[in-house]
Amino acid sequence: MDEQRVVQVHLENISKSFVSRKTIFEAVNHVTIDVYKNEFLVLLGPGQCGKTVLLNMVSGLETPTDGKVEFLNSDSTDVGFVFQKTAVFPWKTVMENVELPLELKGVPKEERRKRAQYLIELVGLKGFENALPKQLSGGMKQRVGIARAYCNNPQVLLMDEPFGALDAQTRYQMEEEILRIWEQEKRTVIFVTNNIEEAVYLADRIIVLSKCPATVKEVYDISLPRPRDYVDPEFLRIREAIEANTDLAL
Amino acid sequence: MSNNTTKLPDGVADSIKIEVAARKKESRQLLLISIISVAIFLFLWEFAVRIGWIDSKHLSAPTTIVETFIMKLSDPNPEGGVLGTHIATSLGLVLVGYGAAVVIGVPLGLLMGYYHTFDKLVSPIFEIVRPIPPIAWIPLSIIWLGIGTTAKAFIIFLAAFVPCVINSYTGVKLTPAVYLNVAKTSGASTWEMFWTVSKNYAMPLVFTGVQVALGNAWSTLVAAEMLAAIAGLGYMIQQGRLLARPDIIIVGMLTIGVIGAILTFLLSKLENHIVKWRSRS
Amino acid sequence: MKKNRSQARDIMLSVISILLLVAVWFLVSGSRPDFFPTPMATVERFIRLIEKPIMGVSVFGHVLASLRRVMLALIASIILGIGIGLVMGWNKKVRAAINPILMALRPIPPIAWIPLIILMFGVDEFPKVLLVFIGSFFPIVMNTMSGVALVDDMYLKVGKIYKAKTWQMLRHVVFPAAMPTILAGIKIAISSGWMVVVAAEMLSSRSGLGFLINRGRDSYDVALIMVAMILIGVVGALLSAVFTLIERKMCGWMSKE
Repeated sequence: MDEQRVVQVHLENISKSFVSRKTIFEAVNHVTIDVYKNEFLVLLGPGQCGKTVLLNMVSGLETPTDGKVEFLNSDSTDVGFVFQKTAVFPWKTVMENVELPLELKGVPKEERRKRAQYLIELVGLKGFENALPKQLSGGMKQRVGIARAYCNNPQVLLMDEPFGALDAQTRYQMEEEILRIWEQEKRTVIFVTNNIEEAVYLADRIIVLSKCPATVKEVYDISLPRPRDYVDPEFLRIREAIEANTDLAL
Repeated sequence: MSNNTTKLPDGVADSIKIEVAARKKESRQLLLISIISVAIFLFLWEFAVRIGWIDSKHLSAPTTIVETFIMKLSDPNPEGGVLGTHIATSLGLVLVGYGAAVVIGVPLGLLMGYYHTFDKLVSPIFEIVRPIPPIAWIPLSIIWLGIGTTAKAFIIFLAAFVPCVINSYTGVKLTPAVYLNVAKTSGASTWEMFWTVSKNYAMPLVFTGVQVALGNAWSTLVAAEMLAAIAGLGYMIQQGRLLARPDIIIVGMLTIGVIGAILTFLLSKLENHIVKWRSRS
Repeated sequence: MKKNRSQARDIMLSVISILLLVAVWFLVSGSRPDFFPTPMATVERFIRLIEKPIMGVSVFGHVLASLRRVMLALIASIILGIGIGLVMGWNKKVRAAINPILMALRPIPPIAWIPLIILMFGVDEFPKVLLVFIGSFFPIVMNTMSGVALVDDMYLKVGKIYKAKTWQMLRHVVFPAAMPTILAGIKIAISSGWMVVVAAEMLSSRSGLGFLINRGRDSYDVALIMVAMILIGVVGALLSAVFTLIERKMCGWMSKE
């Protein structure tokens, strides 16, 4: 936190409602957030609420009903996205999955292969370049997802509960891995989860969101040194403080 | 749109109004496209026949078809039966053949799926007979059973029987072992396990089979009636061809289509009624 | 050990089952051979059919005639069905324009088209291929359309995030995701097409397996009918077996659940 805070993404008074036949569903209500360059920001909130919707709006998949998303200090609005379930294409090999964002941009094969190869090795999948997703475990698929998110070299990475579907042990392992990868390839990360422990383990900063419609409830700066320890007394204290202050009825 | 319970900020409320309006506009637009497309289709068809691009001995204009339809409601000419008679004849045949296929095929398939020995004994015969399309049975059935109702009901039975058996069989085979184990540990007998677990688990697939069987039965019926009959919708279109009356043929075809669709619809209603536990995706 | 024994038992049961079928066939056919030829007579008829062509065409020629009609129609219906299905699944307006007409025609069984098609186009090759096309087009177009419409939203999101253009989206995401459904449609189309070709040949033809059945009926040659039926069954089963292999090859990425 010692480096100067440069704002990378600015969410200005964002609201989002969905209209179906007869009802209006409010997902996000007047949310203003500054996301700083190269920080690991965790959005923490209960169950089925506006967290994912917020990410979708940052990525441009959805447009806010009111308010705006701005990318500052960068001329690119490219983002990398790691999805909740593994959105790795089962019909493409690991290599083809990872290089996809560059292939869509029309980058020549040799160049994008080089980049993808580097990323595959970065996420620890060397030797699996030509494997199909059905041959990989859940954790490995999510590694493919992370490598793909890095591929077109975005400044902002959006992660939507990427480890939510993994078993506990793989989850701990992947949490370590994502930090290792992020230390090596620093980017601005917005990470969504409903797991307090995961949030405290990963985050530079936690923004706690309320139940539907999502509003910003509390912001915590986590300055614990990494690697963090789940049973460190300071870790537990922060965790309990957040727990006491939020109603994460999951 | 009903009034909202929560108060929305002005900006949000406005955007929502715009979105709702856009969506209504889109669905209206799609409906309009459908109507225009059908209208153009019918117009071109009518036009092509009237102007002589298409010989009216080969294809009748839509208006002629409507006239023929109205005429066929009460006039047995030229092929010898009013539309109602043909429909009743065909429906009666299908009900007999198809009904028998469901009543015999579904239990047989369920038992084949459940009892291993029975399965191994019956499956080979089944695998040999299965790939022969029911229509290919028509001449043989006629030689064996004559050209009466029995032969046609038999062919329809064959057509509907296969999917009934296969789907019931697969449904039972796919019962997750967990359910069976639960029943077993709570002391159910083999028969009870079949009756309370496998049979119920298989139901959705059974219904898929019964649906497919209906389609098969209906199209085979048409073939059977085309080859040997003195009434029925298949007979009607076959006579239409011999009399070179495309209007009769098309009225018959459309009736076949509509009744087939109605039967399918009724069956899916029945399915929803019986298989309540299945969640709608 | 135990597994081996139960496998042996299964094979035994299958053999018994087929023997039983043949035995019943012998028994039933013994009394009226002209009415219901014995298995031997059927085999003999088959051999005689190989030696002596009907209508100047050997039995294999008849098989090929039927196959050729099915293949021509399938090529047409695969190209048109997938093309139209893709566009309909992808674009709401195109779907709104085409769907009502397709929906009106779809419930009409392909066999019910036979009289009209014969009236319009006579009894040459083209009307038969057209009939098979009608029988195989609908399953392909319907499956392609629903396959495209049901592509997992998440996969589409991936494409959108990385700013895929429409054709890229179709090529990288929509088409491969819909592939299993499309192939399932083609599989239905093959068996439906095979049925229709037999029906069309039975009603008007001078070659093909359906014609052989008809010839058998007209000349009261029940053995010929049975030979033709068995051939229809065997070729139909082979067609679907070959396609299953192709299907496995093309959708090897699918995981077994």
